[in-house]
Amino acid sequence: MRGRSITSVIAIGAIAVAMVMIVGCIDSETPVEMTTIHIGYQPSTHQIAAMVAYEKGWWEEDLSSFGIEEVVMKEFPSGPPEMHAMLAGDLDVAYVGVAPPIAAMYEGLDAKIVAGAQTQGSALVIRPELAEEYEREGPLALKGKAIATFPPGSIQHTVLSKWLLDNGIDPETDVDIKAMGPSDAATAIGAKTVDAVLLPSPTPTIIVEEGNGVIVEWSGSIWPDHACCCVVASGEMMRDHPELLKQIIKTHIRATEYEIAHPEEAAEIYAKLQNADTSTIMHSINVSDMHWIHDPHVEVESGLEYARVIYELNSERYEERGLEVLGEEDIFDTSFYDEITG
Amino acid sequence: MKISAAIKEKGLWLVPLIVTILLWEVVAGYVIKNPLLLPRISAVIHSIYTLRALLVPDILVSLLHFSIGVVLAFLVALPLAVAMGWFEPVFKAIDPIIEILRPIPPLAWIPLAIVWFHLTHYAAGFIIFIGAFFPILIGSYTGFRDVPRVLVETGKVLGCIGNRKLIRYVAFPYALPAIATGTRVGMGVGWMCVVAAEMFGVGNSGLGYRLFQKFYFLHQMDYVVAYMLILGLLALIIDRVFRHFVEDELLRWKKGIVK
Amino acid sequence: MNHKLKLRNVTKMFKSEEGEIKALDSINLEVKVSEFLCILGPSGCGKTSLLRMVAGLDYPSSGEILLDGETVRGPSPDRGMVFQEYSLFPWRTVIKNVTFGLKIQGVDQEHQYEIAERYIELVGLKGFEQSYPHELSGGMKQRVAIARALATDPAILLMDEPFGSVDAQTRNLLQKELLEIWKRTEKTVLFVTHSVDEAIYLADRIAVMSARPGRIITCMDIEIPRPRKRTSMEANEIREQLLKLLGSNNQKTT
Repeated sequence: MRGRSITSVIAIGAIAVAMVMIVGCIDSETPVEMTTIHIGYQPSTHQIAAMVAYEKGWWEEDLSSFGIEEVVMKEFPSGPPEMHAMLAGDLDVAYVGVAPPIAAMYEGLDAKIVAGAQTQGSALVIRPELAEEYEREGPLALKGKAIATFPPGSIQHTVLSKWLLDNGIDPETDVDIKAMGPSDAATAIGAKTVDAVLLPSPTPTIIVEEGNGVIVEWSGSIWPDHACCCVVASGEMMRDHPELLKQIIKTHIRATEYEIAHPEEAAEIYAKLQNADTSTIMHSINVSDMHWIHDPHVEVESGLEYARVIYELNSERYEERGLEVLGEEDIFDTSFYDEITG
Repeated sequence: MKISAAIKEKGLWLVPLIVTILLWEVVAGYVIKNPLLLPRISAVIHSIYTLRALLVPDILVSLLHFSIGVVLAFLVALPLAVAMGWFEPVFKAIDPIIEILRPIPPLAWIPLAIVWFHLTHYAAGFIIFIGAFFPILIGSYTGFRDVPRVLVETGKVLGCIGNRKLIRYVAFPYALPAIATGTRVGMGVGWMCVVAAEMFGVGNSGLGYRLFQKFYFLHQMDYVVAYMLILGLLALIIDRVFRHFVEDELLRWKKGIVK
Repeated sequence: MNHKLKLRNVTKMFKSEEGEIKALDSINLEVKVSEFLCILGPSGCGKTSLLRMVAGLDYPSSGEILLDGETVRGPSPDRGMVFQEYSLFPWRTVIKNVTFGLKIQGVDQEHQYEIAERYIELVGLKGFEQSYPHELSGGMKQRVAIARALATDPAILLMDEPFGSVDAQTRNLLQKELLEIWKRTEKTVLFVTHSVDEAIYLADRIAVMSARPGRIITCMDIEIPRPRKRTSMEANEIREQLLKLLGSNNQKTT
């Protein structure tokens, strides 16, 4: 009997020691010189600026003088998984919709939006067979249907929810919203597994070209000038590497102005990196209602609206934790941008 | 005397359990202090209370997917196991195919499942079916293959002429413990596939669905861990119920042999 | 002469890596009604193969086996068999083991239990009806096997070294009980063994077999009245004779 209790004590002690050691490893974040930078992005024409800077070697060029030896670009199908990685500390900078980081901030993400990337640019696509119904009944035609979009916490999900609510449709009970990435959603509408999708370009155009859908609304007509993509920087970047961050924003501005001036080359770069058809991408850029931007101030108003909508959708949980709707200072930090642009 | 013996017996598993819970709470609350990295167990238990309205439909839907998968796996695996276990040519013919399909992880079947069954309960059930099928099949046909020759011949000399009688009166009762074990393992694997099956948006509720489609994307880690615990607990309950009804009742005769 | 079982020129060939092996060579044997006949031979002489062919679990390569004048084709409860290994169905209680053959034959339940009770009592296991095989000793298991084989009222009882797995004392006891059961039921018994002592104790007649290819060297009538003393002079004389017969064929036996 004595042997058993001693064994239990030793076992428990060993577990305790192991746990403390694991925790110690997590905590050993002393600010070291940064040599690698991790940039997150998504396969959308909204974020071509990131791809242009990458393809033209501008990231490496501009950041090498700050000691950066390696630039790692990490692709995510949509914002929420990208923010999950950022919560885990895997990303220093992220190209992402405005909504996912806000949802993550409600759960404690230490980051801020430091620059804009793009507004509008998502489309509601419905199956060709349902086009007539939509013409007659408008949004109410979507009652009882299955709609695929990005996961909860994303711009697309938030825009869709807001639009449904504004039209008297309950997103929880009147429709069947399924979360998936862009390629899964394109497959789903092609296989008639869902009736509609709300996705950022270029996927809507790709679906139309494959004959699997009809674009009936652009997000800009659902919610004019709504912010879409932005550039988010981790708290660590802002506090420990402000000069590096400023350069990143400068490079971003340069890439944004370039893509605005050279849309055909932008389409080529996207097509090359994403294995897509250049003419399809070019067409998508032309028909989409998106605007490439770099000024974060433009995104503040709709950003605050997202913060309100997300709060509403999760009010029980946030109220329990004593959280309030996030304000401008919680979400945005335009100081870096303002310093650069004077 | 009796009380201390009872305490010692319960203590063996109860004490480490309590210590682990306390350790979790202390490490999460005072060492890590990051609810995203490790939610406190007090927060997790509170979440279970908060989520109680969602929990019941989610559990029912997951059990539905689970039942579809396991029942189907059993209905397909058992006849196949009889054929493979009793008729050597059948075994030799089919076993290579089984051995190729078996190692394919159930998750890898998801794209096919979505294409075949669309995003319905059947797609989810299918993934669970794949998970449960092979353990049930292999456990069962092993039972049939292992029937001792002397028992088969005893059956023959007592009047069981023909495969049907021999299978029914000799092979099947002999193989029943192996079938039960295979089914139990199959159910375990099947339940582990519930999250995988549901995370791809098949349906609108279910433990895996909500864990992956809602809690994960909104980074609500305490809800995630709460659902993880529920998943584990349900697996335990299902296993214990199965063991009680099958092993304690049907297989009383085996108890004496195994000890 | 009333012969229960007739074996005529039974030969058995086996295929092996070395080609064809003759296991049994022209066996001719006749078993009288209610006779207790022992087949005695060294290991590997083919005596088990012979018994299995009588049971219908195997087939002769040439020759024929006749029970009550009819050719044996395949196993049947008509030829009850007790195997050397423990052969009780572990998932059935003692009484359910014994009623097994009756159940397959379609006898109704009440009747099944009636008959089974009788034989369970006959083998001295009254009170153990609800026990499971794993709760029984080796000797008890074989007793149940005997009861089970007898329950279907077979024309002949075949036994393949049924007491080989139990210890010496139990074996002696079981042999004694077997003789009592045989006396009460008046069954024809064909008993295979490699033990000279066992054969002398039990048999009316002993068919002595040679080593492979198995032949019947001779059939010896044992006229010692029962109950027999294992160490009597007559028994010793017969033992000597048998050992010489077996020894002269250069094989191991006990």
